[in-house]
Amino acid sequence: MNHLITLPIILPLLLATLQLLPVFEKSIERQRVISLVGSLTLVIVSVALLMSASAGNVTLYALGNWDAPFGIQLVGDRLSSLMVLLTSLLLLSANLYASAGDDNQGRYFYPLMMFQAMGINGAFLTGDIFNLFVFFEILLIASYSLLIHGGGKHKTSAAVHYVFLNLVGSAIFLFALGIIYGTLGTLNMADMALRVRELNESEIQLTKIGGMMLLSVFALKAALLPLQFWLPRTYASAPGPVVALFAIMTKVGIYSIIRVQNLIFGDSAGALTDLGQDWIWVLALGTLVMATLGVISAPSVKRLAAHLVILSVGTLLVAVGFGSANSLSAALYYAVHSTLAGAAFFLIGDIIAEQRERSFDRIVAGRSLAQPMSIGILFFIAALTLIGMPPLSGFIGKFLIMKSIDSSSALVWAWPLLLIGSLAALVAFSRAGSTLFWRSNGKPDSSKASATRKFIAVGILLSAAPLMSLFAGPITQYTDATVEQLQAFEHDPTQIMAKGVQQ
Amino acid sequence: MLEISLKIVLVMISIALIMNTYSLVRGPSLPERILSLDTLYINSIGLILIYGIVQASSINFEAALLIAMLGFVSTAALCKYLLRGDIIE
Amino acid sequence: MLNLFWIPLLTLIGVFVSLSANRVSRTACAYATAALPAAALAIVISYAPSVLDGEHFVEQFEWIPAVGLELAFRLDGFALLFALLILGIGLLVILYARYYLSEQDNMPRFYAMLILFMTAMLGIVLSENLIQLWLFWELTSISSFLLISFWNHKSEARKGARMALTITGMGGLALFAGILLIGQVVGSFNLTDVLAQGDLIRGSELYPYILVLVLLGAFTKSAQFPFHFWLPHAMAAPTPVSAYLHSATMVKAGIFLMARLYPALAGTDMWFLIVTLTGLATLLVGAYMALFKHDLKGLLAYSTISHLGLITLLLGLNSKLAAVAATFHIINHATFKASLFMAAGIIDHETGSRDMRKLNGLWRYMPHTAMLAMVAALAMAGVPLLNGFLSKEMFFAETLQQGSLGALSWILPVLATVAGIFSVAYSLRFIHDVFFNGEPINLPKTPHEPPRYMKIPVEILVALCFVVGIAPGLVVAEILHSAATSLLQGETPYYSLAIWHGFNFPLLMSFIALLGGIVVYATRKQLFEFQAQFPERDAKAIFDQNIKRIVDAATRIYGTLENGSLQRYTMLFILSVALFTTVPMTKLINLEGARPLLPVDGISIVATIILVVSTLVTLIWHRKRMIALIAVSVVGLIVSLIFARFSAPDLALTQLSVEVVTVILLMLALFFLPQVTAKAASPSSVVRDLGLATLIGGVMATISYAMMTHPQTSIADFFIANSKTGGGGTNVVNVILVDFRGFDTFGEITVLGIAGLGIYKLIARMKLFMPSADLNGIPWSNDHHPMMLATVSRALLPLALLVSAYIFLRGHNLPGGGFIAGLVTAVALILQYIANGVDFMRERSKLNYQWLISVGLIIAGATGMGSWLFGYPFLSSWFDYFYLPGIGKFELASAMLFDLGVYLTVIGSTLLILGNLGALTTHARPEESK
Repeated sequence: MNHLITLPIILPLLLATLQLLPVFEKSIERQRVISLVGSLTLVIVSVALLMSASAGNVTLYALGNWDAPFGIQLVGDRLSSLMVLLTSLLLLSANLYASAGDDNQGRYFYPLMMFQAMGINGAFLTGDIFNLFVFFEILLIASYSLLIHGGGKHKTSAAVHYVFLNLVGSAIFLFALGIIYGTLGTLNMADMALRVRELNESEIQLTKIGGMMLLSVFALKAALLPLQFWLPRTYASAPGPVVALFAIMTKVGIYSIIRVQNLIFGDSAGALTDLGQDWIWVLALGTLVMATLGVISAPSVKRLAAHLVILSVGTLLVAVGFGSANSLSAALYYAVHSTLAGAAFFLIGDIIAEQRERSFDRIVAGRSLAQPMSIGILFFIAALTLIGMPPLSGFIGKFLIMKSIDSSSALVWAWPLLLIGSLAALVAFSRAGSTLFWRSNGKPDSSKASATRKFIAVGILLSAAPLMSLFAGPITQYTDATVEQLQAFEHDPTQIMAKGVQQ
Repeated sequence: MLEISLKIVLVMISIALIMNTYSLVRGPSLPERILSLDTLYINSIGLILIYGIVQASSINFEAALLIAMLGFVSTAALCKYLLRGDIIE
Repeated sequence: MLNLFWIPLLTLIGVFVSLSANRVSRTACAYATAALPAAALAIVISYAPSVLDGEHFVEQFEWIPAVGLELAFRLDGFALLFALLILGIGLLVILYARYYLSEQDNMPRFYAMLILFMTAMLGIVLSENLIQLWLFWELTSISSFLLISFWNHKSEARKGARMALTITGMGGLALFAGILLIGQVVGSFNLTDVLAQGDLIRGSELYPYILVLVLLGAFTKSAQFPFHFWLPHAMAAPTPVSAYLHSATMVKAGIFLMARLYPALAGTDMWFLIVTLTGLATLLVGAYMALFKHDLKGLLAYSTISHLGLITLLLGLNSKLAAVAATFHIINHATFKASLFMAAGIIDHETGSRDMRKLNGLWRYMPHTAMLAMVAALAMAGVPLLNGFLSKEMFFAETLQQGSLGALSWILPVLATVAGIFSVAYSLRFIHDVFFNGEPINLPKTPHEPPRYMKIPVEILVALCFVVGIAPGLVVAEILHSAATSLLQGETPYYSLAIWHGFNFPLLMSFIALLGGIVVYATRKQLFEFQAQFPERDAKAIFDQNIKRIVDAATRIYGTLENGSLQRYTMLFILSVALFTTVPMTKLINLEGARPLLPVDGISIVATIILVVSTLVTLIWHRKRMIALIAVSVVGLIVSLIFARFSAPDLALTQLSVEVVTVILLMLALFFLPQVTAKAASPSSVVRDLGLATLIGGVMATISYAMMTHPQTSIADFFIANSKTGGGGTNVVNVILVDFRGFDTFGEITVLGIAGLGIYKLIARMKLFMPSADLNGIPWSNDHHPMMLATVSRALLPLALLVSAYIFLRGHNLPGGGFIAGLVTAVALILQYIANGVDFMRERSKLNYQWLISVGLIIAGATGMGSWLFGYPFLSSWFDYFYLPGIGKFELASAMLFDLGVYLTVIGSTLLILGNLGALTTHARPEESK
């Protein structure tokens, strides 16, 4: 029995709980060591999972040894393994960055980061929709506490918005689950996919209600128009390493949409096929417009980063909403790229804010940065990839998405908005960059220099930009195969229903 | 005989519950409302027990036990609040 | 193999060579920089003989095969011509820049960016794949941004760079869309396929879009009217950059693109109209504006714009001969304009000024430089025996051949001559104003000749102007032929490169241009006065203003939408849910399902009435917090009674215990809230909220009714059937919680644990204001711990612990379990806090609640992992029955251990929150604790 797939969930939990015990509680140094070693182990575990998945294996794990659909199961397929690896990379970089001192600004930093990672990984790996809810709760409750790390009025008041909206979201999530369980009588997602095919007329309508409600919850997490307004303030006021990990949070929502749309409401779902797809498409286009406005008007680096997150959400969901196999594959590539680049840019914003004293990360002329050269290079690389300029991953991602949206009725809408979004990012970045790096007064004060490990953390994340471009061939092969796999699951959901060990 | 008396008791408890609620709404002072809540707890215990006898099932008796115990804590905490504002000090 | 790849690769490596050459002398740095481009040039030249023989080379390497994106390079005649220009002039610029840059300038950085640009430019001209071409296209924009802003302490450099980046970036995005559309029509991005499918593209309904998008890219890059305004401002760059990027190479990228796609896109009326008219407008505007610039580089910039317009115009004419002429003029313009820029740079360098109103009579100070500059300027003016004359003649001839404008066709040669007149005039101004025309005025430096080596690049280029002008057949015929052939993808028509074609119309036009130019220059005073009547329009200010306007508008629109109001965001969410669900609801014809309704009894009615009344009380009096709290307790109580009534005893027990904890938590929090109630909402927002609540409430109620009346089949039957046999318990709810779906419970206790930690994290450092009197201003009582309460509570503790142990143990088979037991224990302990105080508890209880959470979670997790030892998945349960004398038969199950973890976590978390929230006040009240 191979238990590898449980590790992305169990390992962070153990690491978190151990750090609450006396041995680690009092010593931040020990916490740093165990957290960094733990995060690194998680990366290795995730790579192992990904290797197994990329060989075409689907790991099914029947928790409690109960066969699906009765027990909860974990599903390690190409999609979930990819997302878990992404989470682990973010966690490692965020923890490394935080170990330069941000971790000491309040209690329980590492335990909460670990819990957060546990929740995110669980959400990606579970094959059970109620269990998805549970993991959403874990990642949310950990994120509530992480948002206020370091204290301060801004953080707390921004966190209140986030907490309140997400509590409403959780309530709606439960409603939706109640409805869906009522009509389908099951919680296992593969089993749900089987049951939607046998519904009568009024059950179909009820399931539609539940499904649409579910979609609205996922849209809230994903920050789709008009549910994205909470994001800029929340992300901009959160501590740097925390928000770097948060870069994956919107993707959890998008992942859930992809999973549900392609398994439960897939091509075989009859009247329920592509439930809400039109909405996603239209709202994603609207999201692009809003994010473009936000990007142009962003007054600070972190706000800019936050609006770029929304821009990437719009881009991704345009591809998801278009709904072809190619566009979905392109979306997966873009998801990986935008998560890593977004996280890196948040950290860069954090370094800038740290070094500029009173003007923080606001885009105004101010005191010179302590390390203008190194920060400038990182900023430049992040800007190129986030705008979608060649030759980095952002360009490949945007190219793949635009090419995949190939029907003229769709591209008329999507292409201009995507390109204008890029142009807005270009304008915003050139304005921000020339102001921050060139319009500064005073000589660099090297005593304010940031710790090297912060730069290493950003470097890890940013190295993905050239690497993902260089290895775009194998990566697109992987994402193409992922979409094929999703289609195969949809075709025959029984192949992802776990069986327990026979006694 | 038992059936009839059970029915009478149920009706009386219902009336009591309604009156508790009325008193709780009417107030006007906070101690009165707290008292109404406490009485509501006690009547609920009665309701659960009588209902259990009617159904010939003891499955809910623990609920009554918990109401008895936790209702007390709740009332005590409310009173402490009235007294000191800060209930844990 | 893959030799072509080495050309851009070598220069790319050169970038790092330059960067690492920061410790060596400046001359060494220049040589190191030049080495790799020179090697690349050698490779290009090694290909030249076969290319000139008409061969072309394509090499490719797979990148993203799934979408037809490969790294592919192509070397044909046209690419060869450009590659030679880029590398040749590039090397000259490297040499020139060595002497141009001062000690303060960061030379390695400058060279690195210059070489990066060279790589990008080579990439464009050598690309076989259009997407790859675009990749390098954008790279030129980026590197040009870096080069223009090289002196980034200057505001004009920063602004000029941003303007250039924004305009060319915009065009680049349009081009990207155009290329994607071409790919859609042709099914391939490879130039070979695209060029072969010209008819398919021109016949496609997408053709107009493709054409406009591609031309947008080309026009912005090549500074065509009305996008020309960025080029003069790019002159803030160091002069080597201007010489290289803004005359010889980058601005030619747009021309290159038009020429490259000529076989695929040209030949239609649309092409003719757009390209010719744009070219013509650019030609005239550039030539006219150039005359009025006092800045040397400004004059050259507008002159460049004008010549780019000329080439564009030629390409637009849809004639093969014109295309040949365009190719020829590309070569000529590159040579004379690069040398002019370099000369201007020398003048600037040696005099400290570029203002032609100050620069006069330099002939006496720097005759050698003046000689070179004058020859180049005459070539620019189109004077015979120099190369500019030849291509200009061809241009004039082509305008005469054009008949597409019908009766208006005469207008083209006339306007071309007008442009020629101005071109002669500004060239004259360049010569006469700078080198003659009296003495210099107030120059910062005394002019003198530059270092010897600085003039070499200029000399080479000027020599080329001469040689080409005198013996074109010997020097350029071959390469021109091969370039034109590959541009046209077919045979070139007959043309003659002779200097003398006899007396004909083009010669007459040249003559008129020369004569007219002299006249215009002679009457320049009047012209300047005339021009002075127009208000000066500074493109930089306008551009800045427009950007600011866009930013302001975006800020305004966005600001009204994202206004920071939680109410609005919540409303949007609720409205979305309502909107999403109402559509399918209207399609639901049978709201009521087939399931029969249960009969109503009196008790249920009473309970419902109380539930409704107390809910209403909560809502109406939500500002009177204590009343609302009491009413909420009633709601909780009734809900648990309802659970009990409908046979869910576990839920009833849970609800009851959670209820008490919640009430205590709320009271602890209420104490710190401001005593004054918040301002009442405005009537309109009350109506809005009421409407919203009714809407979503109605939706939920309708759905609930529909759900409850529809019959359902579910996996629940399996749970009921397998609870005893598979899970070892008769209480199905508990078996679901700790076994069937134990993983959910595991997750939920984690949530509870995190909540405890999170709240403690929030309050640990908090300092809060404490009211000293209650709502009505009555001071608090002095009796901290009333004796009656204290005594009763202490007696209650063992009782409560007994109850919780009982509930815990029987949980697997009867209502109860770790969660409820944990809450009961926690409540009993909290009662001790309430009755006896924090200090009392601290003395008696050594429990660390944080450790309790940790231990609880570890026990639960370890139980789960225990099954790994037996080869079963996480959280597989085990149970068996045992017999002990005196106790009897009893059951042991791994689930109980798991439940113990739940129990401990619940206690730890609850007390961590409540205990610490209570303790907040204990330390903050020193004067009373005495």
